[in-house]
Amino acid sequence: METSLIVALSAFFKTVVGLITRPYETCRAIVEKGKPAELTYIAVLLALYFALASLVKVAAFRPFVLTRQFIVLAGATGITYCLTVALFWTAGKLMGAQGKLRGLAVVWGYSLLPTLAWFFITSLLYVILPPPRTTSLAGVTFSILFLIFSATLFFWKASIAYLSLRFGLRLDLGKILIVLSISLPILAVYSIGMYRLGIFRIPFI
Amino acid sequence: MTYQKFVKRWEEVTELPPQTVGPLTPYYKRFTRRLKVMPWPALVAVSVIVVVGLYLLIGSAVTFIVSILQRGF
Repeated sequence: METSLIVALSAFFKTVVGLITRPYETCRAIVEKGKPAELTYIAVLLALYFALASLVKVAAFRPFVLTRQFIVLAGATGITYCLTVALFWTAGKLMGAQGKLRGLAVVWGYSLLPTLAWFFITSLLYVILPPPRTTSLAGVTFSILFLIFSATLFFWKASIAYLSLRFGLRLDLGKILIVLSISLPILAVYSIGMYRLGIFRIPFI
Repeated sequence: MTYQKFVKRWEEVTELPPQTVGPLTPYYKRFTRRLKVMPWPALVAVSVIVVVGLYLLIGSAVTFIVSILQRGF
């Protein structure tokens, strides 16, 4: 058990570097060789982020409220992950997907890394430079830099998501677009639900 | 040994048929080639173009979008 976790940790670091430098090859390798145990480390990183986000959101050291906030964020993310994988898998199967559910689940877990990076840095910036931004030169400059940062991570996320569906479901571009056109409206409705419940204003997908 | 590695690699690469998009295939290949290895220069360049375009379109209202995004976590 311990040995497999250490092996998974080494694979995890290698994969993270690969997703940054060679996303195409790395996504293909994750689908073929990725082990669900590697997702443990993504779960640990997510837990660290949720602890930070709970502190920033609650803005007071009240253990009960902090714990509740943490459980809400972690639970909502777990449900979102399962729903997303199930939606893509079901829609993919309707399109004649040939992949394996394990491969899709592992590679989609890794696709949470850009999401996590954006949420983590945005939380830190919320503390360092809390909104609202003004229309001064400094405010506009910060806004432009923040938008460039956000868009870059968004495009990274989009490319990893595409590769996840390409290799995880073994579909071509046309069928991937159909899978997305089935899944995204459902995820949009789900995200509105999350927003109304006050859990995530921006969907953690 | 090297041959076995080559065969394994060949099987990996050829497992999925190459993506084609009709007459747009050369442009698609040129675009995706930049995203396969070290995609960051391309990702940042596209982001800069999109954000500068947005700034030219809505001006300092970008600060409003950022204020919303900063509260989005």
